[in-house]
Amino acid sequence: MSEHELFERESNGVSNGESNAGDTTTDADASPAHGSAVELRGEDLEIGYPSTDEPVVECETVLLPAGEVTALVGPNGSGKSTLLKSMANQLAPECGQIRLDGEQVQSLESKELARRLGLLSQENESPASLTVEDLIYHGRYPHRGFFESVGDEDRAAVERAIDLAGVEDLREKEMKNLSGGQKQLAWIAMVLAQETDVLLLDEPTTYLDLHHQLRVMEVVRTLNREQGVTVGIVLHDIGQAARFADNLVAMKDGEPYDWGPPRDVVTEELLSEVFHVEASVDSESPTGPHIAPHRALDD
Amino acid sequence: MSNSAVPETESTGRVQQWLAGIDGALLTLCLGSVLVVVAGGLVQVSFGTYSMTVVEAWQAVVNPNVLFNLQAWEAFVLGADLPEMNQRSLIVWNIRLPRVFVAVLVGMNLAVSGAIFQAVTRNELASPFILGVSSGAGLLILLTLVVFSGLSALLPLVAALGGAVAFLLVYAIAWKNGTSPVRLVLAGVIVGTIFQSLQTGLFFFAGDIGVVQSAIAWTTGSLTGTDWEQVRMALPWTALAMLLSLVSSRQLNVLLLGESTARALGMSVERVRFALSGIAVLAAAASIAVAGIVGFVGLIVPHLVRNLVGSEYKKLVVGCLFAGPALMVAADVGARLGLQVLVGASTQIPVGIVTGLIGGPYFLYLMRKQDALGEI
Repeated sequence: MSEHELFERESNGVSNGESNAGDTTTDADASPAHGSAVELRGEDLEIGYPSTDEPVVECETVLLPAGEVTALVGPNGSGKSTLLKSMANQLAPECGQIRLDGEQVQSLESKELARRLGLLSQENESPASLTVEDLIYHGRYPHRGFFESVGDEDRAAVERAIDLAGVEDLREKEMKNLSGGQKQLAWIAMVLAQETDVLLLDEPTTYLDLHHQLRVMEVVRTLNREQGVTVGIVLHDIGQAARFADNLVAMKDGEPYDWGPPRDVVTEELLSEVFHVEASVDSESPTGPHIAPHRALDD
Repeated sequence: MSNSAVPETESTGRVQQWLAGIDGALLTLCLGSVLVVVAGGLVQVSFGTYSMTVVEAWQAVVNPNVLFNLQAWEAFVLGADLPEMNQRSLIVWNIRLPRVFVAVLVGMNLAVSGAIFQAVTRNELASPFILGVSSGAGLLILLTLVVFSGLSALLPLVAALGGAVAFLLVYAIAWKNGTSPVRLVLAGVIVGTIFQSLQTGLFFFAGDIGVVQSAIAWTTGSLTGTDWEQVRMALPWTALAMLLSLVSSRQLNVLLLGESTARALGMSVERVRFALSGIAVLAAAASIAVAGIVGFVGLIVPHLVRNLVGSEYKKLVVGCLFAGPALMVAADVGARLGLQVLVGASTQIPVGIVTGLIGGPYFLYLMRKQDALGEI
């Protein structure tokens, strides 16, 4: 099974040491530019909210392989956002552990963690009169001490983030004057300025027009390919996930249903079992498995 | 580029950055506020029950025998014995000017405290008193005046303490595996309602009209009778609170991005929120100790300033440091001299009444004019 295979590859990679962590994947395109890509792994997780008795997510192993893009997909309420929040240490799991490069995230000091792992939530609010540039500078928060002013390193990081996200023309604009898509790019630039090894994004393309969806996904892929950043991304659109991600984790009722490269995971069976949709899948399509949905199935 | 050019461009970069940091609107606001404070101060030292001409009053203000007298300043700031001076100087320097200074300190404290609470609670209606501070202080003021009248010498301290204790109580009630802005505000309203009822109930036990008037003066805020002792009492805490607010402005900015973003950026949100609230309560308590519970300043000044300079908190706090005193000094002119002008009586009214009377209509005017007023 693909899930098993992936797990094996990664285990080997970790034991081989950091110098050739990039060799852990056989797909040349996916190998990170740096040798220092970092994996994020959750084990024996049970995650719930204080208001719920039963855990919302139960998951034996979830792995974001070093230097790869992993998409979490699943229907509404399948627990993908909950899992992502927990992986970012924003929601403490009832049991189990989450390891960033082997270190337990719960034991890391909050700023230390934020220098290594970034999270962009699904919905973000900002003061209306905040400029895009000022917002991006807030991404440097974990790198600055309480009394520290903006340093050259911060300025350089912000410039890189602006460049990568392609928001140079928005720099001086105030958030209230931006469209939804432009706002999202500004927020993405903010987490880019954080310059983390791992980046988690919660539905960054939902509610955006097609142009901005593609812009966001291209930024994410560039970040991954050029800087070897490990990406975990919750996506609503399984077709989009299949095109952009190296791996998919399909969630169903709070548990991972299947896990592996898109061509292995996206099947007609998965679409009917997990998404309750009758669809045909063309897994030979050159841009990744192509899904043609036909009709909704009864629950 | 040659090596020698590097530091030069760097330093010009710094200068440019520093200049860019000075915002035109902010500068205008600060200068305007200083003008209001100076004008208000001029009126305050010139008029009063002891009559002297404006020229005489200002001669007394710039009297070199006081202005450059170390002993006099020792008396003002440290509370030593006053040196000899003529009567006009005594009245101006020992009675009228310190009242202006107290108004300045109170205005700063309330405005900055309100600005902080608006960010911490993410609530446009937040004021320094949103987390129960005023009701706690009010209750203890009434208790002191009515029940424990032996403690009335300590009233300023007791009032400030009551505010701080009520704040801690509100925080404890709101706490359940951490807290949230909504829980804090709700707990503040609940504690406020209970304490307010107790406070109102205590009025029935007040023995005579003097006690009631004194209680009203304290619970609506008054600067009557303030002098250098109040300046000495408030100054160190004000300086500390204002300094802390300025250095915390970045934390406030990040907090405004929402709790989840702030946490994802590595902020210990609960700790920062409590520390910021603590600073705001310190500022509010310092103003309560010298002037009682002056309403409205802490609610509207941050909105006025935000309306002019935006919601960036460094600018906002600096703006509040100037605009708060302007409103407070102007209102105190009305409180001290208003009745004298209107009906010829020398009675003074609590300044808290005037802040509402001049602040309210101005706030309404802004609300009608601006669509976005009130957004944080």
